[in-house]
Amino acid sequence: MTEQIPVTVLTGYLGAGKTTLLNRILTESHGKKYAVIINEFGEVGIDNDIVVGTDEEIFEMNNGCICCTVRGDLIRTIGGLMKRASQFDGIIVETTGLAEPAPVAQTFFTDDEVKAKTKLDAVVTVVDAKHFPLRLEDSREAEDQVAFADVILLNKTDLVTPAELSAVERRIRDINPFARLHRTKKSEIDLSLILNKGSFDLQRILELDPHFLHDHDHHHDHDHHGHDHAHDHGHHHGEECHDDHCDDPTHDHTKAGHSHHAHAHPRHADDIFSVATVIDGPVDPEKFRTWISGVLQTQGQNILRSKGVMSIDGAEQRFVFQAVHMIADSTWGQNWRKGEKRQSKLVFIGRKLDGDALKSGFESCKAA
Amino acid sequence: MSETVKLPAKREFDFAAYVSGAAFSADGETAAFALGSGLVKLVTVADNSTREIEAHGGAVLSFAPHPDGVSFVSGGDDGRLLRVGVDGSVAEIGKAQGRWIDALTTHKNGGIACGVGKEIWYWAPGGTEPKKLGPHPSTITALDFSPDGSRVAAAHYGGASIWQVRNPAGAPRKMDWKGSHVAIKYAPNSKFLATTTQDNAIHVWRLANGQDMQMAGYRTKVKSLAWTADTRFLLSDAADCFVCWDFSGKGPEGQPPVEYGFGDGAGMTAIVAHPDSGFVCGGFENGALRLGDMDSRRDLELRAPADTQKPIRAMAWSPDGWRIAAGAEDGYAVVFDLKNKS
Repeated sequence: MTEQIPVTVLTGYLGAGKTTLLNRILTESHGKKYAVIINEFGEVGIDNDIVVGTDEEIFEMNNGCICCTVRGDLIRTIGGLMKRASQFDGIIVETTGLAEPAPVAQTFFTDDEVKAKTKLDAVVTVVDAKHFPLRLEDSREAEDQVAFADVILLNKTDLVTPAELSAVERRIRDINPFARLHRTKKSEIDLSLILNKGSFDLQRILELDPHFLHDHDHHHDHDHHGHDHAHDHGHHHGEECHDDHCDDPTHDHTKAGHSHHAHAHPRHADDIFSVATVIDGPVDPEKFRTWISGVLQTQGQNILRSKGVMSIDGAEQRFVFQAVHMIADSTWGQNWRKGEKRQSKLVFIGRKLDGDALKSGFESCKAA
Repeated sequence: MSETVKLPAKREFDFAAYVSGAAFSADGETAAFALGSGLVKLVTVADNSTREIEAHGGAVLSFAPHPDGVSFVSGGDDGRLLRVGVDGSVAEIGKAQGRWIDALTTHKNGGIACGVGKEIWYWAPGGTEPKKLGPHPSTITALDFSPDGSRVAAAHYGGASIWQVRNPAGAPRKMDWKGSHVAIKYAPNSKFLATTTQDNAIHVWRLANGQDMQMAGYRTKVKSLAWTADTRFLLSDAADCFVCWDFSGKGPEGQPPVEYGFGDGAGMTAIVAHPDSGFVCGGFENGALRLGDMDSRRDLELRAPADTQKPIRAMAWSPDGWRIAAGAEDGYAVVFDLKNKS
């Protein structure tokens, strides 16, 4: 089989530093060539790379699912790039500052050819540390972009006070506790931390474990990304959180499956937050399929992303699940290690989630 | 079957780049292959010689015979539309800076049309400046001339638009159907217009009254369509056999398609129909090629499948019907001569 070409999706609200990051990717010497899909020809440095301008053209799939929107221009452009696939190592998709990330992500789940030829490596979101709180007030997209991120660059940290910085970081963690977060100035970052990370790869969801429920008794894989690991688990930014019910894994709590409703930070009815839940032991795959498809069908519009790693009776491999809104995908992951505690974990990021119902629903999928 | 039947003579090539297009000169003596490297390869069938023409800066995205019969039209991701002669000459027909020319159609009466973003650029027979038709609801994904060349149809989001090329200022006839349409094909008798859609289906309009119908059930997206010369059957790729929708009598509504030529389960990735008889030829994802006979519903394997082979992406039938050209993702290309047996 041909190797799938990794795709990095670059999002970020206007002025967050996305173009600066893209310029770094295109001009720094990292020995890789990229095909970059942008929305217009702007001030982008072009050396060896292929730069393609397209209009973001979204359409609804004809499958009766109103939130199933797809970027047809991406399907077309990626199809065209595949005719010269030997000429580059990866694809970068830059979205406009106002773009919703869902149609981009869903494109990589729905089109057969795109699925066969490429793999979504990571959604990288650049966040302006100074203006993000304001953006949250006036823009749903800014919040969505953080919710969808696998990697977050908290940028322009030099323009805020340490207190402001930890406040904005807490706000980001409220929305998405699972992404890898890097603090940056002027989008300066070691590119190996954001490119070719395999964040969207179902196999690599296993790496969620260290971030997942912050269960420090649990066996961790510390070898993958020591840099951000140290950052995320340092708890230096969690000092203000004394809330026993806080489910932010960057804070030093160890309880699994607690409610998010009693969170200390003010929350609007429409805010994005996450629900994480865990079962000790295996799930019944049939019960889970029935339950999760019902959940996604009825609440898929509010569930931006969901991911899970599950144990199934009789299976040596982990069952790995993820979805973008209503579009779900699942596969078998790595084998369980010898003596490892076989837990089943599931996380939702979205709006208006009923955490208790989701948790009890997942509990009901427990294998008898 | 291959043990008992003499196979047509074939000439095979390795062009070392994705074969994105194939076409014949009017006399069928030159087969041309367009490549993802921007090159066009010309094969002189009589002596098996090849010539390499440097055409585009990036990939060739669209390719068709030129109406003059002695050259080809190619569109590239460098925004250029070129005329490439069988004599090796290259001339620029048009240029759209920063655009991809991936939708293209030509007509033997002289018309040439390509998609430039949301517009059609149309060159009238002998014309040097294009007329611009549009805009359309989205970027144009595919184009086809009506059999008499008087109209050009464009596929886009939400359906298709049919323009009378003599009246570019007029409004197009809109054929509406939700979703993203990615291929388009006029029926040879001008009575139907077929498109394929992102959601693994074909959509067909009866042009007399605008009635439409949908053919679904494909396991992947349909990208290639072919009508038999008599308009009896519409065939498609995206299945593991020849799927033939019967448009005789009341048409295909409520009827299952004729299916034959089941191979090893591999999916078809390209299909062409003979210019005036009931033969069809399908290319498959494992590089196999199969000839089908619509009358006997029998098939003949022209190239055996193999795990190491890549999908067939481009096919053409010569105007006289005696030669077939096919090319694959890995640069494999072949010309079959149906008159001569090997």
